[in-house]
Amino acid sequence: MATADSRVRDPVVGGNSVGKTFAGGTVVALENASFDIEKGSFVSLVGPSGCGKSTLLRLIAGLIEPTSGSLQVHGSKVSAPRQDVAMMFQRATLLEWRTAIENVLLPTEIQRRVTADDRNRAMELLQLVGLGEFAFSFPAQLSGGMQQRVALARLLQTGADVLLMDEPFGALDEFTRERLNIELLRIVGEVGATTIFVTHNIAEAIFLADKVYVMTPRPGRLAQVIDVPLARPRELAVQTSPEFNRLVEDARETLGAL
Amino acid sequence: MPAPAMHGEGRNGVPLRTRRILMHAGIFLTLVLAWEIGARAGYLDPLFYPRPTAIVDSFIRIYITQGNIWRHLYVSLGLVFAGFAAGSILGIVLGSLVGFNALARRFVKPYVLVLEATPRIAVAPLLIAALGFGAQSKIAIIMLVCFFAPFINTLAGVVNVNEEKLELFNSLGASKFQILTKLVLPEAVPVIMAGERLALTASLSGVLVAEFIQRDQGIGSLILIYTRNLNMASAFACIFTLTVVGFLIFKGMEMLDRYIAFWNNETGMARVGAARKARWEN
Repeated sequence: MATADSRVRDPVVGGNSVGKTFAGGTVVALENASFDIEKGSFVSLVGPSGCGKSTLLRLIAGLIEPTSGSLQVHGSKVSAPRQDVAMMFQRATLLEWRTAIENVLLPTEIQRRVTADDRNRAMELLQLVGLGEFAFSFPAQLSGGMQQRVALARLLQTGADVLLMDEPFGALDEFTRERLNIELLRIVGEVGATTIFVTHNIAEAIFLADKVYVMTPRPGRLAQVIDVPLARPRELAVQTSPEFNRLVEDARETLGAL
Repeated sequence: MPAPAMHGEGRNGVPLRTRRILMHAGIFLTLVLAWEIGARAGYLDPLFYPRPTAIVDSFIRIYITQGNIWRHLYVSLGLVFAGFAAGSILGIVLGSLVGFNALARRFVKPYVLVLEATPRIAVAPLLIAALGFGAQSKIAIIMLVCFFAPFINTLAGVVNVNEEKLELFNSLGASKFQILTKLVLPEAVPVIMAGERLALTASLSGVLVAEFIQRDQGIGSLILIYTRNLNMASAFACIFTLTVVGFLIFKGMEMLDRYIAFWNNETGMARVGAARKARWEN
């Protein structure tokens, strides 16, 4: 039952019986996860703490290695961090001594020599996230929501087409989070990236995604895949529709049956 | 002191800030006056507690009429800056090397702990024995007293790198060198600067110890000579000079800290932000 939809047409990220244990095998963080994620799709991983969702994200990012099974991105095995995959964290993790634009340019600086094109691209991305006027502000001069926008622009500056997001707006207040989620949908739609989004909020997971992977803890595993056929672009009002609520109930049932 | 009160108005329309300054000046003058009267009336032994007016006379003499303090001040401050520069650069370099290298850390740590527990001044006579009399051994003593704060602080700054930022750099495929230069060292700057402040203050004590042991020149030897000749007023004038020097050094380091770790204050961010904007547009 851990196998996700096998009719995926153009898989970008694939996992084959991926398992990860910590502490010498005593803690099973993730067990037997198999999945295929379609190019350009938005996938949410939802579940309570300890269900292995962050572990799965770090495995795809190449930050940690699986104990068993294998992972592929664009058909090649993941063994280390790679340039076609980029990750965004719960906190903005901006460098305080760099201006917003310099923070956006960091991934390029790490990869190679920065060109005029890179600088223009970085400025465009800051404008895309609505912070064109704050390019030369330092993180301490920006609000929490604005800091996460800079982090989003930095994520896009990597040029990666697989974006991993670990509760990126989880530390923000409800209103800011909702607004940023809408913008996130617009932006990833515009750049056409494949997005894997971790959250513990069921409604948020469904609202954003084409497909929701419901995960359960001890041991962490993929318990259910929910297709979300809601039309795009989505607006907050969709959350009151009967269809949306049916999907929420569906996920809640899986999570409640622990 | 809450900021609004600074600009508030006290009774009779006199600003609070002015009132405070007047109050402090009043207390200070009263103390000095009591000292003067006590010394003149014979309650204070003038041999050890010279009259404030005598100290003022000494100030005028050593700075203007005789003008002999300048040379000593110049020599002492030269030693302070030489020893401070050498000691703190050594501290920062070794601190970052040891901090960034887990193996070196394990081997160096016990020695650091032992040396830290030992009062550095105790080693001063040995340094003089080893290096001989002269500027060399004095600078070595100052280096010794101002090495540890930058070393320990740099080490701590480098070791306590933010885990999330480190993960970000790893996910971007950064090399060890890039992590060191783009993350670890810049992030350690404020804590390194705090170490530098301690070091500069310590180096002022270091130069005095060095000059107490080798009484050839410098403020330390001058204090020693005046005290031996029972010229306490001049000794006090030297000590107050050191108070002013210490205060200026402290303020100077504070300004330097705000300048270098600019991202910790509004004015710094405004200054650097504008400069980077100008550079970007060119």
